[in-house]
Amino acid sequence: MGVDLATQQLGGPIASQLVDLSPHLPVLPVVLPLVVAALMLFLDERRGILKAGLGAATLSALVLVSFVLLNTVSGDADGVIVYRLADWAAPFGIVLVVDRLAALMLMITSILALASFVFAVSGWAIVSPRFHSLFLLLVLGLNGAFLTGDMFNLYVFFEVLLAASYGLLLHGSGRQRVRAGLQYIAVNLGSSMLFLFGVGLLYASTGTLNMVDMMRVAAELQGGDVTVFRAGLAILSVAFLTKAGVWPLSFWLPVAYPAATPPVSAMFVIMTKVGAYILLRVTALASGVPETGLVEFLSPWLLYGGIATVIFGSMGVLASNQLQRIAAYATLITAGTLVAAVGTGDARAISGALYYLIGSTLATGAAFLISELIARLRTVESPAASEPVVEPVFGDDYETSLEDFEGYEVGIAIPAGTAMLGGAFVTGALVLAGLPPLSGFLAKFAIVRGVLAGTVSEVAAWVLAGAVIFSGLATLIALMRKGVEAFWRPGEETTAEVRSLEALPVGLLLALCVALAIFAAPVITYLDATSAYLANPVEYARNVLETGR
Amino acid sequence: MELVTAIGIGVIAGAGVWLILRPRTFQVILGLSLLTYAVNAFLLSMGGLKLGAPPILESVAGVDPSRHADPVPQSLVLTSIVISFSMTALYLVVLLAARGLTGTDHVDGEEPD
Amino acid sequence: MSIDSVLLIALTVLPFVGSALSSTLHTRARTAAAILAGVFTVGSLAATIALYPRVADGSVFKFALPWLPSMGLDISLRLDGVSWLFALLITGIGALVVLYARYYMSPQDPVPRFFGLLQAFMGSMLLLVVSGNLIQAVFGWELTSLFSFLLIGYWYHNANARDGARMALVVTSLGGFCLLLGVIILGGIVGSFDIDVVLAAGPRILASDRFVPALVLILIGAFSKSAQFPFHFWLPHAMAAPTPVSAYLHSATMVKAGIYLLIRLWPVLSQSDVWYYGVSTAGLITFLLGAFVAIFQNDLKGILAYSTISHLGLITLLLGLATPAALVAGVFHVLNHATFKASLFMAAGIIDHETGTRDVRKLSGLFRAMPYTGTLAIIATAAMAGVPLVNGFLSKEMFLSETLAVHSGTFTDLLLPALATLGSAFAVVYSVRFIHQVFFGPKPTDLPKEPHEPVVWMRLPAELLVLVVLVVGILPGRSIGWLLESAVRSVLGPLTPHYSLAVWHGLTPALMLSLLALAGGTTAYVVFRRYLSDSPEQGPPWMGRIRARRVFELAVDGLSASARGVLRVFGTAKLQPQMLVLTLVALGAGLWPFVLEAVRGAGWHLPIGPVSSPLEGPAYVVIWIMGAVCALFAGYLAKFHRFAALITLAGTGLAMCLAFVWLSAPDLALTQLVVEIVTTVLLLLGLRWLPRPEPAEERTLSQVLKARARRVRDLIVAAAAGAGVAILAYAGMTIDPANRLRADSLRSFFVENAYAGAGGRNVVNVLLVDFRAFDTMGEITVLGIVAVTVFALLRRFRPPRELLGGTKQQLAQAKFDEVAADREVGDTAAEFLYVARTAMHVMFPVLAVFAAYLFMRGHDEPGGGFAAGVTVAIAFILQYMAGGARWVEERLRVLPVRWIGGGLLIAALTGAGAWLFGRPFLKSYYEHVELPLLGDVALASAMLFDLGVLLLVVGATVLMLIALAHQSIRAPRSSPERKADEP
Repeated sequence: MGVDLATQQLGGPIASQLVDLSPHLPVLPVVLPLVVAALMLFLDERRGILKAGLGAATLSALVLVSFVLLNTVSGDADGVIVYRLADWAAPFGIVLVVDRLAALMLMITSILALASFVFAVSGWAIVSPRFHSLFLLLVLGLNGAFLTGDMFNLYVFFEVLLAASYGLLLHGSGRQRVRAGLQYIAVNLGSSMLFLFGVGLLYASTGTLNMVDMMRVAAELQGGDVTVFRAGLAILSVAFLTKAGVWPLSFWLPVAYPAATPPVSAMFVIMTKVGAYILLRVTALASGVPETGLVEFLSPWLLYGGIATVIFGSMGVLASNQLQRIAAYATLITAGTLVAAVGTGDARAISGALYYLIGSTLATGAAFLISELIARLRTVESPAASEPVVEPVFGDDYETSLEDFEGYEVGIAIPAGTAMLGGAFVTGALVLAGLPPLSGFLAKFAIVRGVLAGTVSEVAAWVLAGAVIFSGLATLIALMRKGVEAFWRPGEETTAEVRSLEALPVGLLLALCVALAIFAAPVITYLDATSAYLANPVEYARNVLETGR
Repeated sequence: MELVTAIGIGVIAGAGVWLILRPRTFQVILGLSLLTYAVNAFLLSMGGLKLGAPPILESVAGVDPSRHADPVPQSLVLTSIVISFSMTALYLVVLLAARGLTGTDHVDGEEPD
Repeated sequence: MSIDSVLLIALTVLPFVGSALSSTLHTRARTAAAILAGVFTVGSLAATIALYPRVADGSVFKFALPWLPSMGLDISLRLDGVSWLFALLITGIGALVVLYARYYMSPQDPVPRFFGLLQAFMGSMLLLVVSGNLIQAVFGWELTSLFSFLLIGYWYHNANARDGARMALVVTSLGGFCLLLGVIILGGIVGSFDIDVVLAAGPRILASDRFVPALVLILIGAFSKSAQFPFHFWLPHAMAAPTPVSAYLHSATMVKAGIYLLIRLWPVLSQSDVWYYGVSTAGLITFLLGAFVAIFQNDLKGILAYSTISHLGLITLLLGLATPAALVAGVFHVLNHATFKASLFMAAGIIDHETGTRDVRKLSGLFRAMPYTGTLAIIATAAMAGVPLVNGFLSKEMFLSETLAVHSGTFTDLLLPALATLGSAFAVVYSVRFIHQVFFGPKPTDLPKEPHEPVVWMRLPAELLVLVVLVVGILPGRSIGWLLESAVRSVLGPLTPHYSLAVWHGLTPALMLSLLALAGGTTAYVVFRRYLSDSPEQGPPWMGRIRARRVFELAVDGLSASARGVLRVFGTAKLQPQMLVLTLVALGAGLWPFVLEAVRGAGWHLPIGPVSSPLEGPAYVVIWIMGAVCALFAGYLAKFHRFAALITLAGTGLAMCLAFVWLSAPDLALTQLVVEIVTTVLLLLGLRWLPRPEPAEERTLSQVLKARARRVRDLIVAAAAGAGVAILAYAGMTIDPANRLRADSLRSFFVENAYAGAGGRNVVNVLLVDFRAFDTMGEITVLGIVAVTVFALLRRFRPPRELLGGTKQQLAQAKFDEVAADREVGDTAAEFLYVARTAMHVMFPVLAVFAAYLFMRGHDEPGGGFAAGVTVAIAFILQYMAGGARWVEERLRVLPVRWIGGGLLIAALTGAGAWLFGRPFLKSYYEHVELPLLGDVALASAMLFDLGVLLLVVGATVLMLIALAHQSIRAPRSSPERKADEP
């Protein structure tokens, strides 16, 4: 694929190329949002409708593009498209690389973006200027980070997406958001510095910036230079772990995410995945050069960090009774699970974790959106905590209940709006808690199975498996508490007013969750192919380095 | 010469780290700026130190790479200068906003009790 | 696909279809919903019955679709004797419950929801029992927990319903997760999740070292579902559900799921000590505890609930004994218990429905009012108590004889029968109490409703069940011998023992124990009935008076509380600790590889390559010393002397510029210089809005010490970090050139191709606009984003009140004007620094030209779009400084946001232009031309790109500066709406 793209790039008459964007598809996820966002800067706030339309159209186009890319790579023998920017071949120029993993991430990003954007334009978008542009630029940054094959270019795109995320987090201003922003920005600036230190050391030791080339050179390094390379990679990983929200570098996340406006928090869900994605990418590439021993060097840290994150996230979920906070910690659980799975290096665990990532990203995004709608339901006071623990009847209290039970024996019909909301809530909860019939169950199964059958030490395997299972239980308890409180109110009928522009995106995300369960077979086949491909990066490297030589 | 550079970078970075650990937003922003200097110098030095050999070709024919400093780190540093400049500006404004909204210049937006 | 396969699929799918359909009905459509549910349930039942021939001889009927080979999962349905037995219970009793519920539920209830959930549960339960794959079974298992939760919470406006539902869900899904883990381990041992494969791998499983954990986890799952001690407490609270649900889920089917699992895996798991002791002990305790507690209940459903617990314990105990004969007894009792307990629940529901209460102390003498119901209840209760001629008696007697048959050679040989008899006696007590208090005695007084018989259709289901109870009780062999046989054979296969189903086995010891239990129980009731009915003191004596519900809630709350505690210890919401952690982790990560080297014995190897350039002149050292010292001062002054700190910071920046010049990076020096200027201006503008730093007020000694300690700590960390950076920098600089100067090293490539391939002499600039133009595009995007963000944020910015009303200087000037006779307020401010300002005005064109020059030569000499852009921006700033925002904006209208947009567009479109020529994004073209003044210039498309950079930089920088500057002139309380979008 890469090769025949290259031949296509060798030109042809203008006329034939005017219409043909197909060879440039890989770069569209970056260029398209950039152009549209720039255009939007010429439209002031009075043209909100127009901007909303433009943005939605762009994001839909991105969904389409990523779908085409996904089809191409999954149908292709090499399973990779390499796009040479400014027509300079790697490692001299910057290349974009689309493989199954990148295509998948693009897909998730654009879908989540579309949903959050539509949700936002129905209300939040107007609270402060330039929301639409910032949102598209965030998408641009994410796509770039998923696509690029160049370490420093990755830094640039990290900064793009972070800058946009700063803007969006502060969107709507307000005391809480600015406070959260102060912390979020400081931490991320710190980790960006580390990124640069790391890149510097990598360049010093290998003299190249292309990720694949780096690994190739690293394999030839001897003596102290390997150590320098390792130091660089280690510092770089610290930056990635911070972005991925891995304990103990994750404390900024539960502060920042709930502070943002719901659609923005929903979009943020994908950002932790970028860090995890890069870690996965780097370990995969490193596994191609076993003589460097990089995988053995990194994996334990990822494994134990991931486990710690899962536990930390579960604790957070249990401790929270606000849906945004629960969702924020659920994000940590997902990230931790993926990072830990990467740490195990077991292909089955990784594809399971990816499957979990898809479902949980969509569900968490939906949860953030729902949180706003639920907030519109009246809240109910928690049950009286003053009841005595010791009471005359063993394990049974119908004495107290019989009386008030009488006359209660008629149920309440749930209003349509609330019913939909409840259905949405349950759907999301099932995915996150890993209960059947939705994808979470299958994902947890795949992960635990892979881990227990994998190569990691017996103890680590048990701890990780236990942590994953426990996180499910914790999420279930927290969400059930929240759901009962929100939807099962004594006495009064509760109705939620839901605008169609809000119902639509939530519906989309959850429908996809369901579809993910129904079409589990093709999805998991794709993911197995993905993790298998990652496990054998030689092809990838060859394509990246030899395209157009 | 490498030694001097390394120590210089180290001292600046150390001062920066000290400042980002302080509780006042203004201290933190200065710390970040100092760290930026350190990082940029660090990045540049990663290409090896070369005196009086700017990567600007005087003759267009028969250029000898070894007679020019490594241009790559320079371009990287240029990019990072710009980015860190904008980040400094952003952080400055955020800390002003925080100051305005919370009435304190503590990094947590509230005085420690 | 054979007809039977279709039937098998229909059997599982039909209930779900029905469930889906009933959700379409109107909320009050009671009869329609009932009919719908009835049709689909009966259909499922018919399918079940039709399939019996396939399993009659203990053989297995399977249907499988490949689904996820990579996970070893396929959709497989598997029917054998025992699962057929369960399917029959589920569908058969299900059908009866549907009929019953039609009349039980009130017309005001949203009945379709009820029937929808009920059928969904039915489907899940069927999925569980006919699944041929362990994971699929767990799938169904979890679904049953879920629907049971929703059904218990059906009357969610009632607190008991909510709490009961929550408790049931938490307990059962805790078990469910354990089960999942256990099953995964089991499958891991066997290498497959297919039940047949697992059942065939008995020895391998027992041999594995993961056997015990797997078994324990699975048992936790089974016990929690089947309400075995210590997980029994959720069941009584599930009684808050509508009675049909209690009859169906919580006596006949769902609580038997755990039992089913134990029976299912009995062949492979039972032959181990863990199983024998664990299962039989749990069963025995549950059996006794439940029976004993049941005696003291005053709610009809309470009695039945605890009796259910006790009977489940009995079955568990039988399975725990791990002998084939005991298994037979267990399976038999499953069947019997389902029939008599379901009918009892229905009777209780009828009584509740017709009298309005379930409190046995209020009820009495109902037999006169409702003789039919009374008769049914009495027969069913007899079965519960184990009276001859009803089915309960038979399995109870089997049970007793099995307890007698145990010969483990320990004291249990005697203890077990004794305890079993005791438990049976308890059962007799609560059964007799149930009947005597409800149906006999004086006429009831003050009942909410006047009792009378229910409609015949509501009674019918109970009647049918009681009929089964009697028939089986009198003619066991004929009536269900075949069924039991096929079920047992499907589990035990060749191991199937000889057993006889008969009412009369002669005067066996078991019969003796049975009679003993009956007699003892009855006398006990006669003796204690006063105590039971009258004593205000409720609950069993000398047994813990714990209320499981409160304990459970406290446990859950405690969990959350401890979680919060964990977060407090292992988490933080403050910035400083995070920065500390980040620094330390990074430091550790950076030095770790060197430590590893050292540990590996390579010694403290710092890669000091042959590289080490001579120190040319002390000036270089001076530069760095200046930079370092300034940095240290900045660190020291930052808190109390912000302005000074700012100056020293600029000092460091300047040192950097010089260092860049030294290190042959003119472009960097230039850029650093202009950026330095702008940054300083920005910070100065910002400085005005910060509060006057005041030294900390009076503090206690401990606080002072703490603060000092913190400082020392941070100082050490900072020093360590600095040292670490220095080490790494040194290591990086002294890398072996053998590696850096690889044949294809980037450096030489760029130097060689800069002119040849991109037509530029300034390699750095060429890198920025051509080789690595993509970076530059991202970089200007960042700048643009930040500018927009800054602007949006400052629009909402409210200057703190105490800082409004001008600086000291402005105030002083104003005062001066006021006192002076010939002056207007503001004159002094207007004349202030007049000369300098004029100079600044003049500077504008000069700077503009300089910028243009920088831009044009950028491709060949130091300069370029960014530097030029910042220069233009500086020109603007000078105007603002000189004239003030108002003065400038009266004269030229700047729309920075448009500049930003334009810049981005130009850059992006230039890049995309290459597409027209079928080249990749950002591919650049160039042409050499002779220009006046500038001479030979390469007009590259890259320059257009660079122009975009320039525009954006101007826009962004100006926007930020103006936005900040405007704070000074904005009215104190101006509302954000008042400001236009563009400054």
